[in-house]
Amino acid sequence: MISRVAGSCFWLHRYLERAQSVAQLLRVNRSFVLDVPVDEIEKHYPLIIVCGEQARFDARVEPSLRHDRDVVEDYLTWDGESPVSLRSSLYWARENARTTREVISLEMWESLNDVWTFVRFGAGRRKYNTDRDAFFKRIKDGCDLVLGQTESTLLEGEPLDFMRLGRFLERANQTARMLDVKHHTLGPPRGAETPVETAQWNALLYSCGAAEAYHKRWPARPDGRSIADFLVKEPDLPRSVLGSLLRARDTLARIRAAGHPALGVAAERALDALVAHAREAPLGAALHEELTHVIDETTTICVALERDYFDPGDQRALLEPAP
Amino acid sequence: MFRGGNLGAGARIVRDPAKARVLASPLVVTSIRAHGRAEREPLFARYRPLDGVFDEIFTPSGKARRGLADVVRRLDALGERELKLRQRLADGAFLRAGITFRVYGDTRGVDKIFPFDLIPRAVSAQRWEALERGLEQRVYALNRFLEDIYGPQRILADGVVPREIVLGSKGYLPALRGVRPPGGVYVHVAGIDLVRAPNGELLVLEDNVRTPSGVSYVLENRLVMKRVFPQLFAQARVRPVDNYPVRLRESLRSLSRPDARLVVLTPGQYNSAYFEHSFLARRMGTDLVQGSDLFVHDDRVYVKTTRGPERVDVIYRRIDDEYVDPTVFRPESLLGVPGLVGAYAKGNVVLANALGNGCADDKAVYPFVPAIVRYYTGEDAILGQVPTFVCADPTSREHVLAHLGSMVVKAVDASGGYGMLFGPSASKKQCREFAARLRANGRGYVAQPVVELSTCPTWTPRGPAPRRVDLRPYVVTGSSTWVLPGGLTRVALEEGSYVVNSSQGGGSKDTWVMAEDGAEDPEAAE
Repeated sequence: MISRVAGSCFWLHRYLERAQSVAQLLRVNRSFVLDVPVDEIEKHYPLIIVCGEQARFDARVEPSLRHDRDVVEDYLTWDGESPVSLRSSLYWARENARTTREVISLEMWESLNDVWTFVRFGAGRRKYNTDRDAFFKRIKDGCDLVLGQTESTLLEGEPLDFMRLGRFLERANQTARMLDVKHHTLGPPRGAETPVETAQWNALLYSCGAAEAYHKRWPARPDGRSIADFLVKEPDLPRSVLGSLLRARDTLARIRAAGHPALGVAAERALDALVAHAREAPLGAALHEELTHVIDETTTICVALERDYFDPGDQRALLEPAP
Repeated sequence: MFRGGNLGAGARIVRDPAKARVLASPLVVTSIRAHGRAEREPLFARYRPLDGVFDEIFTPSGKARRGLADVVRRLDALGERELKLRQRLADGAFLRAGITFRVYGDTRGVDKIFPFDLIPRAVSAQRWEALERGLEQRVYALNRFLEDIYGPQRILADGVVPREIVLGSKGYLPALRGVRPPGGVYVHVAGIDLVRAPNGELLVLEDNVRTPSGVSYVLENRLVMKRVFPQLFAQARVRPVDNYPVRLRESLRSLSRPDARLVVLTPGQYNSAYFEHSFLARRMGTDLVQGSDLFVHDDRVYVKTTRGPERVDVIYRRIDDEYVDPTVFRPESLLGVPGLVGAYAKGNVVLANALGNGCADDKAVYPFVPAIVRYYTGEDAILGQVPTFVCADPTSREHVLAHLGSMVVKAVDASGGYGMLFGPSASKKQCREFAARLRANGRGYVAQPVVELSTCPTWTPRGPAPRRVDLRPYVVTGSSTWVLPGGLTRVALEEGSYVVNSSQGGGSKDTWVMAEDGAEDPEAAE
């Protein structure tokens, strides 16, 4: 497929996955802070850190307002300059869809338009002001619908695989970020927490849509260590770091097998290394470093994909027969 | 056709219109119950055509034109409430489908819906046939004209068109003299803008033979019409338009190898017609590319793919001439493909439309088109056109300046309603500005007396009212020529307005070319 279009497919799904994940995060946090007596600073501000928006947010918002629920939620929902706000993610998802209309399905396009129209025009604003939980749910569900329609309406092939690749890498990234923030507020998982800490770990499970899966696999009392382990290393869990990376690796292998042998080499190598790392990493005191490594390396992989597949510059060299 | 079985049901529907509506759509039931009284008034009960203006559907006395009585009766039966309801359904369908365009100079709004009016513009089969012949003749002549201009220039030597008008046109590209595109086809797609004068005659207002747009609206409008008026369509015999993309693809391939790789080249997603570029690529089953996706090596064009470079044979390009190749035209252009003109000159790629067509649809060349038609065909032009003053000529220019208030002044190389002055509604300041421009650059402008454009009933908040319309049919040429049976009817939605451009507050309507043979001329009723 056309290189640029492959890039748009990849980014379409990264943004969808991101919007889905941020909407879920905001939603879970709302109910979580009602249950648990945590300090004001731990209630909403961590959301900004999860999303990697600390620098931009702090530069824009004065210290006295940074812990205000509405300020944080407004920022992560509506801010036009933040690349992770729901509005931005959906805007860019739709822009990428607009440039790939000839490869995505009508079903995907209409559903994405629906959720974008909801955010863009008055209906979303009204819902946000009157029933915020329903607003976040509507966005999460809208993204889920498009993600599901992707699997149920597209032909197997390169466009679908590039979408999956974007989705899985973004997912690995999001899960790593969410875990990392818990690390900031809770310290390393120990295996024996206070009830408040356990509630926080539970909220993390919900944010990752992994609570029910965890309870099925973990019959004992929930604790931080097993939850962190589950979210990083459980290969069967679609949103775990390793699970996402394994799915990304399978997808990239298919793309490589069908394509020019010179393309995708660097990305594959980096992804293999990251998979091995995620499998073996010790999750105790070094959890933060491990998660930072995952976040940095997904960026490395994306840069390699960009160079080989999405924005290859000059392809003249590939015209000559290989020496 | 299941004639026997359906006839009875049809007859029942005619006797009991309310029942027919109930069958058609459960949504409608509520509206009938809630507003039963308002439903009873026929849709056009209070519609009156304007004095001295031709109406597409009604005679001056308010009767349906011959051949259109059936369509009018069916619309009448809907009533205002229901039309309003269906208009909402249609608007929702457009928004949902993301059928939008962008207006330049509007930084925030980004996507807008091209307003769509549900009341169709109908054309009888007989009328259409005559129009088809006129369009084929005109496009044939413009093609021969371009072949001549980029070849021997006989028509200039014979003095039929002034040399300086053609060679002085911004659209003329001297570098391409001697390059003959495959099949001698220059105008692969033409969009000829027509208006109907008060006497009922269709006149050519302008030719678009560079990159005419709008055909996606023709196809999408029809889809939405079918969705909101299923039973109307089942009964009216309207010729289909949805095979356009496939006809275009076949036509373009006929000029290259049978398995030719075809791409649609767009300036990108911020272009006002991006939706259309994407739509056509999708419906033609081809890739939509931008300039940066292509490169030229050894005078051959390649597209960058995730599997390495692949050869391209035909480019349906929607980028203006001056942007296609920064090594030949605008060096700062990022939209084009360096080396593309070289590949084209070598005959290694078909460009549709050809480069340099702008000297054929230059508004200063337009007044000579009837002579051009006569020169290459030996026949008189079938289609009439609007009297035009070429402001390069001092006598004409003075006439225009003296009558600016009743003229439409157009820049010769602009389109889309940009760069024009509509005399009757222009401010004094605008008139002064244009007068200065005319004096400074006569060659840059032409002027035409305002044509009393025909009207078509159009939905307004106060019921159907006459609004001005034009018509853009599409003509596709490969190894043969084909006219799409339909076209873009644009409508000036503001009361009293003559400006139909989408960028200037215009909307569109579905254009129904009726299929019945030997149909009566709709204009012959009075």
